[in-house]
Amino acid sequence: MSDVRPYLWLIPVLPLTAAVITGLFGPRLLRRYSHWPCILAGVGAFIVAVMAFLAVHQGIAASEEDQAHQIQVYYEWIKVGEPGIGRGIEVGFGLNADALSTMMALMVTFVSTVIAIYSVGYMHGDEGYARFFAEVSLFVFMMTTLVLADNFALLYLGWEGVGLCSYLLIGFWFTRPAAAAAARKAFLVTRIGDMGFLLGILLLWSRFGHYLDYQHIFDHVQKANEAGTLDQGLLTTACLLLLCGAVGKSAQFPLHVWLPDAMEGPTPVSALIHAATMVTAGVYLVARCTPLFILTPFAQVVVATLGAISALLTALIALTQNDLKRVLAYSTISQLGYMFLALGSGVPSAGEGLVTFAVLAATFHLFTHAFFKALLFLSAGSVMHAMGNIIDMRRFGGLRKVLPQTHWTFLCGALALAGFPLLSGFWSKDEVLDVAWTAGLHANPYRSWYLILWIIGLITAGLTAFYTFRAYFMTFWGEERIPPEAFEHHHSQAAHGETSHLESPPVMTIPLMILAVFAVGVGAVLGPSHLFGDFVAHTPGLPSRSAEESLNFFTMILSSVIALGGIGMAYWMYVRQPDVPARLVKAAQGLYQLSLNKFYIDELYEAFILTPLAGFTTFIRIFDLYVLDSLVDLTGQLFRWLGFRFRPVQNGLVQFYALAMVLGLTVFLIALVSKL
Amino acid sequence: MRELLLLLLVLPLTTAIVVALLGPGRTAAVRWVSLVSVLVSLLVATILSIQFTVERTRETLSVDVTEGPLTFRSDWIQYKTQENLLPLHTAADGTVDSAIQFYVGIDGLNVWLILLTALLMLTCVLVSWTAITERVHEFYAWLFVLQLGMTGVFASFDVILFYVFFELTLVPLFFVIGIWGGPQRQYAARKFFIYTLAGSLLTLLGVIGVALVLPQVEADHDPGQSHLLTFAIPELIARVDALNRELPKDVQQLERAPKDMEANLQQARDRLDYWRRVQLWVFVAMMCGFAVKVPMVPLHTWLPLAHVEAPTAGSVLLAGILLKLGTYGFLRLSVPLAPDASLRFGVPVLGSLAVVGIIYGAFCSLGQDDIKKLVAYSSVSHLGLCMLGLFALNEVGLTGSLLQMINHGLSTGALFLLVGMLYERYHTRKMADYSGMGARLHLLAVFMVFITLSSIGLPGLNGFLGELLALGGMYDFRGSQVQGTLLASLGATGVVLGAWYMLTMVRQVFFGPVKEPQYEGHGQISDLNGRELAALLPIAGLCLALGVFPKPFFDTVRPEIQVVAGIAEAARQRADTEQAVAHRVDVQQTASVAEKK
Repeated sequence: MSDVRPYLWLIPVLPLTAAVITGLFGPRLLRRYSHWPCILAGVGAFIVAVMAFLAVHQGIAASEEDQAHQIQVYYEWIKVGEPGIGRGIEVGFGLNADALSTMMALMVTFVSTVIAIYSVGYMHGDEGYARFFAEVSLFVFMMTTLVLADNFALLYLGWEGVGLCSYLLIGFWFTRPAAAAAARKAFLVTRIGDMGFLLGILLLWSRFGHYLDYQHIFDHVQKANEAGTLDQGLLTTACLLLLCGAVGKSAQFPLHVWLPDAMEGPTPVSALIHAATMVTAGVYLVARCTPLFILTPFAQVVVATLGAISALLTALIALTQNDLKRVLAYSTISQLGYMFLALGSGVPSAGEGLVTFAVLAATFHLFTHAFFKALLFLSAGSVMHAMGNIIDMRRFGGLRKVLPQTHWTFLCGALALAGFPLLSGFWSKDEVLDVAWTAGLHANPYRSWYLILWIIGLITAGLTAFYTFRAYFMTFWGEERIPPEAFEHHHSQAAHGETSHLESPPVMTIPLMILAVFAVGVGAVLGPSHLFGDFVAHTPGLPSRSAEESLNFFTMILSSVIALGGIGMAYWMYVRQPDVPARLVKAAQGLYQLSLNKFYIDELYEAFILTPLAGFTTFIRIFDLYVLDSLVDLTGQLFRWLGFRFRPVQNGLVQFYALAMVLGLTVFLIALVSKL
Repeated sequence: MRELLLLLLVLPLTTAIVVALLGPGRTAAVRWVSLVSVLVSLLVATILSIQFTVERTRETLSVDVTEGPLTFRSDWIQYKTQENLLPLHTAADGTVDSAIQFYVGIDGLNVWLILLTALLMLTCVLVSWTAITERVHEFYAWLFVLQLGMTGVFASFDVILFYVFFELTLVPLFFVIGIWGGPQRQYAARKFFIYTLAGSLLTLLGVIGVALVLPQVEADHDPGQSHLLTFAIPELIARVDALNRELPKDVQQLERAPKDMEANLQQARDRLDYWRRVQLWVFVAMMCGFAVKVPMVPLHTWLPLAHVEAPTAGSVLLAGILLKLGTYGFLRLSVPLAPDASLRFGVPVLGSLAVVGIIYGAFCSLGQDDIKKLVAYSSVSHLGLCMLGLFALNEVGLTGSLLQMINHGLSTGALFLLVGMLYERYHTRKMADYSGMGARLHLLAVFMVFITLSSIGLPGLNGFLGELLALGGMYDFRGSQVQGTLLASLGATGVVLGAWYMLTMVRQVFFGPVKEPQYEGHGQISDLNGRELAALLPIAGLCLALGVFPKPFFDTVRPEIQVVAGIAEAARQRADTEQAVAHRVDVQQTASVAEKK
């Protein structure tokens, strides 16, 4: 394998070039060929990523030294003063391909290329066709920069960049008020997290050695820890601040509210950005910062707890949603919660192997989730495409004959998500639960708490299987119902009611099939064989090269039973006894409303944050206009008034002036005399 | 090459006269002459800055600021011109050794601001092309006088000259707002003029004070030699730095000396205290003018009014350049000439006000319905960030602050341009009147989104670097005067608030269903034309260039920033030592009291 170092920069730069080309020439020159730069760049980037993967893999095989597994390039960006003891800032456009980032880059370039191909069909004929592909290319650039960055500043560039692309793509159909509102909401809510993230970066820089690259910071913290001079409080603060960013980007509780609304964007965007790649950036960040998190048990338990809360909360919400894409969005939050649960459960006191295992479990779930969730979204998009942009599950049903290919691919994704034995989701979810279980068994300050989190994880697994198959059965089973919009969409077809032509074109279904193969098989191929684990375990910074990875049959059987139970329950309620849900709703009206209205979290924010802030804004505006400015005017008036008072002095009478002169002279003389 | 810098001052003056003489009839000629003049200015400024950068990058590697006195060393000031204007003292051999000088030059602190001035002037001429139709020759004449004033302030190395140019900027802008402004133009112009004039008169006191007091303190210290007045900034700073090093050192030496030197010790202490007290007054006096100009909350109320009433060109220059005169004054004069006062008074007071400004300005922006007012208040917020970095008094913060000055000039200048272009089309600035403009005016929307991103600090564009460095500098503040971490954390809320008001505006005006404002008399509304593109493209290009390739900027400003940071750092270390000593004395006293009991 030749040296891949000189070409590493191609991974982000190829999509960037595509973005620039499409942005500049798309609308005028390329028009309906605008997807070519994006797809070609995606393929190119994927090839380079594969080369990088092979190089890193070879490095791992060749030596046991960590440094050998990294390939870096560097180009100066910010340099103010001397870093380190000079208390300056120095960072560059440094790319770093180690096991973790290569894995991410592979996944991102692959999934994005597949989704770009799908979009050729999905976005066909849209007014903003070129703009769409320009923005998707820009997104791929930002995302690959994010995962390949070797320092926090560049990571932050990618981080904000993907946020920007998310903003632009959610608001792709910007003339729709809902899309416009969702775009702004997504950007602002994640920005709240990013503010914490930025402060976390500054804290790490300012208090842990004045460096911004991972290597130096981790080394500094490591040394301080060994020397016993580590400030635990500061490190915990730093980790929690970093977590803020992760929580915002990965849509975890309490900043999860933007993701469901983000479904206003085109469905390929939901699949790419809001399921497979961008939202996993938070997981990547925490995984990347493992060397910091393992030193502060409190930050770890916060990570795990937020993850578990998000997983359970959004699974409960997903139970009652009627919008197919929203069900999937909530399930994304829920699955990301699993990843955080795993990351937070890697407590070092239970052995260094557990730390590595936790990272592996989280990233493995991230990896498999990217495939099956992208698949589910794209299948949902295919349904939506066929149904004339209707996505409300109450308006269609029994589509499995109408959309046979979509039906099969959706089923593959649903089974994987539900954790059906031997499919992708099963392996990775099992590992996540295993980590929490192990953390609960071994001695650490929060031991019993981890057991509770494990139970939450199990419950969520059951709920996941249930709501996924609820959506599946509602869409593809039961009586065949097709909304009239579906036929308006296909003008050329004369016969209304003719359903055979509704299936999406091959350019959409073939990507679905590719993803379906991965969703079914990737877990079984990479999981039990330890191929994935052995590779990612060689990420520098992880304390142990070998994870305590064993097939835990207890969790495995338990979670299988739960998953099958959930699926069976959904089958019984939505196929066998379709009147059960309605009765259940009637019986537990309060709970149903709570879930349907997303636990009223949006309303709570509205009432307790937005409204007071709006009031404060009005107050400040009025204060500025009428109080502060009036004070200024008053000062002006004061001098005017003074001038008015003194005006009589200049009365033009010579006698008065003479008198004043005499008086003045007298005062002056007296002063002079008394001084002598 | 010094002629080039002089050309930057002479050219606007000549153009102003020529344009004025062309008279009211020949508007086309006025416009073209103006355009040629600003293009030449921009070309000259570009050549100057490129040459300067090239020379700097070649030599900075060998520059060591810690050698010799900390000041803007005259051998670093390129292309300088030093002529005596008002001789005050003549040496025995007949040469003038004390004078008010016409002393201009280019160094790291001003080179980019001078370039920015030339660039924004170009956009102003372009954007006024069709917007100004009455008394065209007068308008352009005033614009060029303004350019002279702005360039002059940045280039001055003599405090009196600095002040003259500083005040000179008021006059043209007064007329630009007062004649070509909106409905309330006269009130706005008067308020702007009187407010800033009142402030800057005190600044005059400050700059004269520092020049007058220095020889006196030096004479006390070293009565043998004659101490001459000087107004040259490098010279003044060198003297201040020398005093700041020597006086405390004397005190320390005398403290260790035998007991019979007690009287001398007291005297030395008195001198030191005196010098510091003077510094405080000097600082406060200078602050009055600069803080109004910046503007710091609560002295900002003239700004939104002036902005709303001013024509687009006036707003662009007001936001882009004139506000920087305040921050630049702090950076060039206040901090290096009164380092102790900057630390003890400036950091807690102005640092806190800066944070208040960031948050207050942002909430004011959020509450506006007028786009121009929103942008005006956003200036208050952004300049707060600039001041926060400045009063971190360390290299990172100062660099961030200077970069933030450029950033704000570019992004807010461009925002005012865009608002002006929108106004020219629909004659309303109320956000509620607009909706879905993105579908109507594609290019304008693209530029607006781009500049918005620069303004809210998206990494990869310029705004982010200023934000990161300014906040980082304050975060890293090591003195005991304020909790730098706290101030920086509060200031960081600007990151969210800034995005909030800007994106709300973008959503309201450019997103949503298309709704054009109802206005009688606009014909076919078209997207940006070539002239408007020419005004916007360079700014947008620079935003991107500074964001990804800021290296030339950092390289050129480094030596001077290190000088200012070095002076401030010396003051900080001294303050810390004194505090530690005082603390020790306290502890000893309490201990001895306790023993006696």
